[in-house]
Amino acid sequence: MDLLLRVEDMSVTYRNREKSVYAVRNANMEIFRGDSIGIVGESGSGKSTLAMGLLRLLPQHSAEVTGRAEYLGKDLLSLSENEMNELRWKNISVVFQKAMNSFSPVHRIGSQLIDIYRVHFPKAPKKEILERAEETLRLVNLGERVFKMYPYQLSGGMMQRVAIATALLHEPDLLIMDEATTALDVVTQGQILKEIQQMEQRLNTTRIMITHDMSVVAASCSRIAVMYAGEIVEQGGVKEVFRAPAHPYTAGLLGSFPSLRGEVKELTSIPGTLPDLSKLPQGCVFAPRCPKATERCRTEAPATRIIAPGRTAACHYAGGGNHEA
Amino acid sequence: MLKYVLKKLAFAVFTVLLVMTLNFTLIHLAPGSPVDIIIGPDNQDPALRAALMETYGLDKPVIVQFFRYIGQLLHGNMGSSIVFHTPVAEMIGSKFAATFMLVFTAAVLALIIGAAMGITAGRKEGGFLDKVFSYTSYTFNAMPSFWLALMLIILFATTLRWLPSSGMVTPRAKFTGFRYTLDVLYHMVLPLLTLLLLRIPGYFRTTKSSVLQVNSEDYITTLRATGMSEKKIFRKYVLKNAILPVVTSFGMSMAFLIAGVSLIEIVFAWPGTGRVMLTAINQRDYPVLMGVYLIMSIMVALTMIVVDIVYAILDPRIRY
Repeated sequence: MDLLLRVEDMSVTYRNREKSVYAVRNANMEIFRGDSIGIVGESGSGKSTLAMGLLRLLPQHSAEVTGRAEYLGKDLLSLSENEMNELRWKNISVVFQKAMNSFSPVHRIGSQLIDIYRVHFPKAPKKEILERAEETLRLVNLGERVFKMYPYQLSGGMMQRVAIATALLHEPDLLIMDEATTALDVVTQGQILKEIQQMEQRLNTTRIMITHDMSVVAASCSRIAVMYAGEIVEQGGVKEVFRAPAHPYTAGLLGSFPSLRGEVKELTSIPGTLPDLSKLPQGCVFAPRCPKATERCRTEAPATRIIAPGRTAACHYAGGGNHEA
Repeated sequence: MLKYVLKKLAFAVFTVLLVMTLNFTLIHLAPGSPVDIIIGPDNQDPALRAALMETYGLDKPVIVQFFRYIGQLLHGNMGSSIVFHTPVAEMIGSKFAATFMLVFTAAVLALIIGAAMGITAGRKEGGFLDKVFSYTSYTFNAMPSFWLALMLIILFATTLRWLPSSGMVTPRAKFTGFRYTLDVLYHMVLPLLTLLLLRIPGYFRTTKSSVLQVNSEDYITTLRATGMSEKKIFRKYVLKNAILPVVTSFGMSMAFLIAGVSLIEIVFAWPGTGRVMLTAINQRDYPVLMGVYLIMSIMVALTMIVVDIVYAILDPRIRY
């Protein structure tokens, strides 16, 4: 398989005069071409920050990004602004969460699509652009009539679909979707996920899907990365992780959403809340909420270990170890 | 669009009427009467007073006086000054041109300069220009207008002798044509400068905060993610979105200017409505006062309509 993106020890720290907030810490990931990886975790776990850091869209004066993120051998984090702009949208595009706000409210959608297309093809004729845009809009069940409209004239769901279509304009290698289907109803969401998967197979697109919805990951992703308090605590194939979560946090997440098949179980919730990211606990970040935490967990931070081929976990007791031991 | 404009016009007429009612009531609630001025402090003859009251219709209830005044207005007659016996239209007509020239020039220049400063500062927040603009604008914003006017006179007229301190034309010069225009502009510099120094800070801050706010909007992040150049993002997307609140503040600023210019006019002896209004207030010269207020409120209402129309053109979310 073809390695598309290798994230190495990537950290994001927000700094202001009073304190530093460690939003993402030592993230490591290998994403192969054609993969679809779901990054899950509760709000504030650093999933969006990780993606925005990769895209270099965090405010430069307050966010410090360290580590490496090699996209086809080029480190995204140290490219010049011009080199980065070359990759943007043509190779790596993104769909944001708040679609209603993803377009300027005082410009027609068509005009914005033309401007976005022309970033990479400045001389492209209007007709050609609109034809291409219509093709991608059809993928999400919209037609050319949105060209003449302003964002306020469309519903949130429709704007979300326009945002997805816009991200597909140049058929990118890597598509980052940040909660991109969260605002849609389940029927539309299912439909769009299916369309996107078909497109991925046709074009061999790679997708990073940021969501807090486990069912979206189950339905549309091949791999999963679970984030907690800025750390990737578990990574692996979706099937393997769902069948046997190695990290207690993953198990907690899976226990709090209902399964369609199998026996009826009572849903559980994870007690407590995320730790303060400016004052992290000494040991494992999840220890204060972990039902299985031991003295070792509270004093010694667990390293991320490979517990099976293509599978990692940051827990003293994952894989080889045993909580009861 | 026509319907929108007509609706705004109808609303403006209603507003002006309401303002007139309020003004009329307030003026008549204030103690004193123009008759006191006419008969002077030495004559206390009650018969004369009663006769004068009757002559000017001041013996009638306020409500009757009000409707009489409105009826007169509908015939295009603003009445005559009780004290000077001159028609109000004649008294304030030429003065108003002087006031309007000063106010309009100040409003437009303040908008352009303040917005340009705000945009410059907003693009590079915390930069050198941002700091200079911010501190100076806070300083000028904190100064009382008449005091600033006097300081400018001391500096530019008395000490440096660069500019005239008062009036609109050089007395006895009898300039005509282009020379006359230049002379008026020359006299306008100091009052205009005072008004600008007072109004620019408002525009500066509105524009700067608007640029900063738009810069952090999600749609700007989307455009950055597409690799679009900062220049293009700024010129097409940030600017149009950021200018909307500035347009709104133009309408409000105009209202403040029209009301606040009187003091500046008096300090610089600018032959505008300011002095007329002050005299009319002191003498309780009701028709003159009502005339000045009427024109002021019509001007503010018209400015608001223009602002609303410009806003509707800029922002498609305004339905009309």
